[in-house]
Amino acid sequence: MTFNTIEQIALFAMLLLSIGSFSYEIFKRFVIVSKGTGSFEFDSLGIRIKRVIVEFVLQKKVISQRFWPGLMHAFVFWGFMFFSIITLDHFSIGFNFHPLSDNFKFFYGILFGVPWAIFVLIGITSLAYRRFITRPKYLGDKISYTSGFVALFISVLMITYIIDFAYVGHNSTSLAMKINWWIHAVLILGFLILIPRSKHLHLVLSPINIFFKPILSPSHKPVPIDMEADEEELENLLGSLDKLSKNQTLDIFSCVECGRCTEVCPAHRGGGTLDPKNHFILNLKDHLLSNQLDAVNKIDVDAGWECTTCQACSEVCPVGNEVEKSDEIRNMQVLVEGNVPQEYQKIFNNLQNTGNPDGAMSSDLTNELPAFDGSQEYVLWLCCFAKYKMDPKFTSSVYSLIKILDSAKATYGILKKEQCTGEPANRLGDKLTYNMLMQANLEELKDVQKIITMCPHCSVNLGIEYAKYAKIDYEVYHHTQIIEQFINNGNIKVNKNNAEKVTFHDPCNLSRMMGEVEAPRTAVKSCCSNFSELEENGKNTLCCGAGGGLWWKKETGGKTHLPRAQQVVDSGAETVVTGCNFCFGMMNQGLGPLLPEDKAPIKVKDVADIVAENLQ
Amino acid sequence: MKICVLIKQVASEDSPLLLNEDKLTLKTDSINFVSNEPDTYALEEALQLKEKNDATVTVCTLGPESSRQVLKDALAKGADNGIFISDDGIDTSSPLSIAKTISAALSNDTYDLILSGLQSNDIGFSQVGLLVAEYLNTSHASLVMGTEIINDKSDIKVKLELENGWFQWSELSLPSSLTIQSGINSPRYATLKGIMSVKNKEVKEYTKNDLAISEDNGYSVVEKFTPLKSKETTTIQGSADEISNQLVDVLKNKLRIVS
Repeated sequence: MTFNTIEQIALFAMLLLSIGSFSYEIFKRFVIVSKGTGSFEFDSLGIRIKRVIVEFVLQKKVISQRFWPGLMHAFVFWGFMFFSIITLDHFSIGFNFHPLSDNFKFFYGILFGVPWAIFVLIGITSLAYRRFITRPKYLGDKISYTSGFVALFISVLMITYIIDFAYVGHNSTSLAMKINWWIHAVLILGFLILIPRSKHLHLVLSPINIFFKPILSPSHKPVPIDMEADEEELENLLGSLDKLSKNQTLDIFSCVECGRCTEVCPAHRGGGTLDPKNHFILNLKDHLLSNQLDAVNKIDVDAGWECTTCQACSEVCPVGNEVEKSDEIRNMQVLVEGNVPQEYQKIFNNLQNTGNPDGAMSSDLTNELPAFDGSQEYVLWLCCFAKYKMDPKFTSSVYSLIKILDSAKATYGILKKEQCTGEPANRLGDKLTYNMLMQANLEELKDVQKIITMCPHCSVNLGIEYAKYAKIDYEVYHHTQIIEQFINNGNIKVNKNNAEKVTFHDPCNLSRMMGEVEAPRTAVKSCCSNFSELEENGKNTLCCGAGGGLWWKKETGGKTHLPRAQQVVDSGAETVVTGCNFCFGMMNQGLGPLLPEDKAPIKVKDVADIVAENLQ
Repeated sequence: MKICVLIKQVASEDSPLLLNEDKLTLKTDSINFVSNEPDTYALEEALQLKEKNDATVTVCTLGPESSRQVLKDALAKGADNGIFISDDGIDTSSPLSIAKTISAALSNDTYDLILSGLQSNDIGFSQVGLLVAEYLNTSHASLVMGTEIINDKSDIKVKLELENGWFQWSELSLPSSLTIQSGINSPRYATLKGIMSVKNKEVKEYTKNDLAISEDNGYSVVEKFTPLKSKETTTIQGSADEISNQLVDVLKNKLRIVS
């Protein structure tokens, strides 16, 4: 097949138009992304590269959350990879340049080209069937005509390739073959025009976005507040609150609109209005594209208050988005608008006045336990939940931990001036109160080396969030991590005496934010012979409904705490173990009403309880 | 237009109330002091009126040194200036005496509108706002559920709560003193800018001596005590007639809840 000058000029012009249009749209978005706050980080390069390989090349998140559609998507994607070389060759031929020999093309086609063309055809047909016939609700109510075009484009591309392949080595000069060639070329060029204008931009941006996804989750920027700041500094700080970061801006252009984030969202599943895909991502896109960067103002405020900050949305996203933006919207509502639900105002006032969210003035537990005097190895961080008996049943779990610490002959003491880490204020947007409590606690922690806390919300704030504001010199352990150490080092001996059907509920703060899923399992499995996992577990756990300050929320649109409790009931477990006081409280509240009348109550235990019960 | 809001500092609902040995005053170290919640609705109403009517809002409190905090909170939420009347004896003062002192402080200026919560969450006399109206010779209304400034800022239309879910709109001439029913609005939270602005806002300070008020309670508090919790169960037995007769006797003569 040869191409005359007119054909070559036409092809050149079309290439120019298509690549020009593509580049223009990409550049437009690049400019917007570059105006975001903060910067793209290159630290932890190994982790980032691994993430790109696992999540982009191997399509792990695409496949694991929705197996069949995920696999079909992977077929199309992997097919694209194999076709890149074929595509380059295709356009070279248009300029009478033949980089690949007929021999190579034949064998490549037999081994990869044709099989993958068939896989791609199977994949794209299945995906189109799903999108247009099955129509799962998380893909959205609107029919995406672009997706229809793309499916058709890809199918025709594959068919034209197969036809072309059938004639490899024939040196065909027929008009039909040339038309076949042109159809293939024009579709690719058309696709190039379509990509940046649609969700198919994820083809280009997802590897970049996955690479730059912050290592910490959540990675919301700190809001340090200096009460002595002058007016200009204050204006700068407040002016920055409605801006998205570079990462967040890139997220919005990378979104593939699959709706996985909404599908896993506990607020959504509990019947609330929050729809992370639209509220946190898609609703902000047009605003950004019109070059307005104050996108935080476009987030639905009521939906923002429903978020449990559990990070399930960010964990599940296959294109590396950090979806959750309740932090940004709440910062705005509290610090700039002063628009705060009354029950949260009460918590903030209590935190400011008394250093705990309940406004309590004394704690029996604090008076009872030994004070930290610098001679002990650990500070036992109690957390207001235990200190002020926010769920009175949890007090015995504290004693379980103490029993374990004593059994391991560990030395510990409590800080008599321990105040709330500020977690509720942090998650609910009152960064002023958060700064205040953090300063007070950091002062108390000056000479401390190791902290154990039973509350993963406290662990995250003491260990990860505080470190965003100040240099910290201590190490923070969740008690399950310490128990795991004790077991592995032989400091405690545990009998495997519990033969009940036991399951474990992963707290979001422990599993997703601290990345700890093994320690509690080591502890529970060491004493339980009949352990089974819940349907959603580990980093894909489902929030109990208490995170993000929702423990204190009187009414929400939905019943965020029920979906997880229902899963526990459905699991048939006799005991549910957890590693978080809030989860413990939520389970106690949620399980009872959901249990069928003829079923025995499900026992709720902390990891410390079940280990302490089985100590030798 | 000038609006003044009266705010009292009270113990939070959950604070343990322990008496000092004098049996008159509370142990303050176990108390979480907060702004009296009903007054926060009055403040919010004033701030909303300010936004609609181009007014200035003054907040006034009377109480011990710790009460300055309620002024700070109100100034942070958007009040323009404050009046602090230092008085350590508020626990034993009568509403009449408190109203007299506040009126003396407010009479140094002229306010078109004085707002306060319907009652304080500690003593709960529900009188100060209305007594201030008497001292300052203004119109007054209680149980206010809605406000609207009308007639070129010379009058105010108020929605009053009646019994049984009934409401009544009335028009009062300004100046006026209104006591605000809780739930009338959703009090705002102080913004960061608001909190930062507090240090630049003026707070006038008075002591009782400055105001030359003689303590004239008309009564004195002899003793405060925590109500004793007791449980007494009596079983009434017999025939239906005997039981009902005995029950009537208990209700009439022992508990005196029917006559």
